[in-house]
Amino acid sequence: MTLSTMFTTMSVGMLRSFAVFMLTLLGSLPLGMVVALLKKSRFKVVRALINAYISVIRGTPLMLQLLVWYFGPFYLFGLNIGNWRFPALILGFVVNYAAYFAEIYRGGIESIPVGQYEAAEVLGYTRTQTFMRIILPQVVKRIMPSVTNEVITLVKDTSLAFTLAYQEVFSLAKQISASQTSFMPFLIAGVFYFVANYVVEFVMGRIEKALDYYK
Amino acid sequence: MIIEMNNIEKHFGDLEVLKDISFGVDSGEVVSIIGPSGSGKSTLLRCATFLETIDGGEILYMGKRAAHTDAGGHAVYVHQNELRRFRSYCGLVFQQFNLFPHYSVLKNLTDAPMHVQGRSKEEAEETAMELLGKMGIADRANAYPYQLSGGQQQRVAIARALAMKPEILFFDEPTSALDPELTGEVLKVIRQLADEHMTMVVVTHEMPFAKAVSNRVLFMDGGVIVEQGDPNEVFENPKEERTKQFLRVFER
Repeated sequence: MTLSTMFTTMSVGMLRSFAVFMLTLLGSLPLGMVVALLKKSRFKVVRALINAYISVIRGTPLMLQLLVWYFGPFYLFGLNIGNWRFPALILGFVVNYAAYFAEIYRGGIESIPVGQYEAAEVLGYTRTQTFMRIILPQVVKRIMPSVTNEVITLVKDTSLAFTLAYQEVFSLAKQISASQTSFMPFLIAGVFYFVANYVVEFVMGRIEKALDYYK
Repeated sequence: MIIEMNNIEKHFGDLEVLKDISFGVDSGEVVSIIGPSGSGKSTLLRCATFLETIDGGEILYMGKRAAHTDAGGHAVYVHQNELRRFRSYCGLVFQQFNLFPHYSVLKNLTDAPMHVQGRSKEEAEETAMELLGKMGIADRANAYPYQLSGGQQQRVAIARALAMKPEILFFDEPTSALDPELTGEVLKVIRQLADEHMTMVVVTHEMPFAKAVSNRVLFMDGGVIVEQGDPNEVFENPKEERTKQFLRVFER
């Protein structure tokens, strides 16, 4: 197998890894905010449920969670859902990352001085306006470094999709490496992850810089 | 009367912070509130501006009731939407400025008039520039708060409150967070507002300033108004022993 066929075969896996990455971000970034806000809910039951959810997600391996999402419907409820592999995979990732993002958001929200809320209140902003116009923009700036960290972890975590036999780049690398007795596929996969994270760092750096106009 | 507070009660847990306080401000009047820390001055302002809820008593703005004690002895406020209208009657200048750091000076002044009061951008900006001119910082309109000195920041905060065109402006120790050399510029603009007969209530430790600008001085201690009256009377001839003791500290 030539290097170029190896690369072509693996590029399908790269696209699949990228799909998991993008869908997870698109789902978990907003869901995390919902979770963070629910954690500050007036209702004790809601807060308790959210706390339990975050505890379980952070306290168990993502790999195990993926298996539960995939096999759970059948073994727990006797459900047979067609084409469940990919949805289960994305659900597992989104629900997992939303918990981590929620904690980052919460930390950011709580770091905003109470004086900002009071100034907004006296000026007559509604609660929604206060959050959207005054609090959230400042939170975004403060949490950027932590979000970057999490996104970089996600790039590497996409390899866990192999758990559900999803043929992303790392699964393919292992297969090709075994069949061709070559170390090359691992190098290609390594370069792929590194380049992907380099792009993440670059983009996030740009965003941080754009937010540098105030302190 | 712009504001009238009757028999205000407020406690934090077991601590009674305001004990049956009654107090009102007429249009154009400048009232200074002095007193030791922990005497309830700030809490009184925070109750007047609805940042704190009272536990008993009555708050009226422009003769309309915003809060009162019901038959069961609980303080009840008007509905949220109506309360927003009462909020628009009053402005508050904080000790820590509390400017919005992500907004330019100009946007700090125009955002609430546009998005809370629904005024046009042109009108809001015109008012803002006029106020910044009055505060002597028109040239800093496009700066961000972190680029300003404390004194400039506090003047922006005063302009921001004024941009809402309140009937009354409250100041909560407006110079306490400032370096001594910067207090003068802030006191100067407050004095200027007093000359224009802006209705104001100023909690302050600047005794000469309080004496010079206010029509009336209130001395608070332990959650009650111990003494009040003409500034010359209160400062030169305090009647209460506690007032005398407090003022003596400032004479040195």
